[in-house]
Amino acid sequence: MDEFQTGEETAFVVDEVSTIIKESVEGAIGGNAYQHSRVNQWTTNVVEQSLSQLSKLGKPFKYIVTCVIMQKNGAGLQTASSCFWDNTTDGSCTVRWENKSMYCIVSVFGLAI
Amino acid sequence: IFLYRLESQVSFNADEASVSVKECVEAIIGGLDYNQNKVNQWTASIVEHSLTQLVKQGRPFKFIVNCAIMQKSGAGLHTANSCYWDTATDGSCTVRWENRTMYCVVSVFAVALTC
Repeated sequence: MDEFQTGEETAFVVDEVSTIIKESVEGAIGGNAYQHSRVNQWTTNVVEQSLSQLSKLGKPFKYIVTCVIMQKNGAGLQTASSCFWDNTTDGSCTVRWENKSMYCIVSVFGLAI
Repeated sequence: IFLYRLESQVSFNADEASVSVKECVEAIIGGLDYNQNKVNQWTASIVEHSLTQLVKQGRPFKFIVNCAIMQKSGAGLHTANSCYWDTATDGSCTVRWENRTMYCVVSVFAVALTC
């Protein structure tokens, strides 16, 4: 008799991922004002920290994490994503964060292996 | 008698994807000025058309296409990507385009299908 276990262990859980991202962003840039000389380092820290926490979840997924930091000065910014994948197993989650001087948008895409 | 066909693993061709994406961007916003009312439509069209072109190539990949359009007004914008995947087969490419009034950045991520 075959036992087929489709568990939460192998699904993309948006809430879990969302929490991880929020913590990574807060940790990397929380309390800082936009600084041109440091923003490079910040985006790198956010994606690396997020990715490292995601891989620790130990799920059979490949991940793509993107981070955009934009200075607040009235400019308009619009982003869109389109994905060609398996709707039953793959998923994405986007977190928008802001403070007085900048916006930070992080997107995570998880693709089941 | 056994017929054995060995299929080599295909890896992502970033140059080809790049050309395809540039054509899509040019076709959709080439020659236009930043317009707050239309930008929503533009980003959606760019990702949809780019994705369609990529899928038409018939390669065994899952794709993610991301597009950001930003008005030119002196603000600083920084983006970073990090990927946890199979570096032998998966890949990405980013196309940066601009005109007088706006920047457009499109990123394509391709993840090989494991059969």
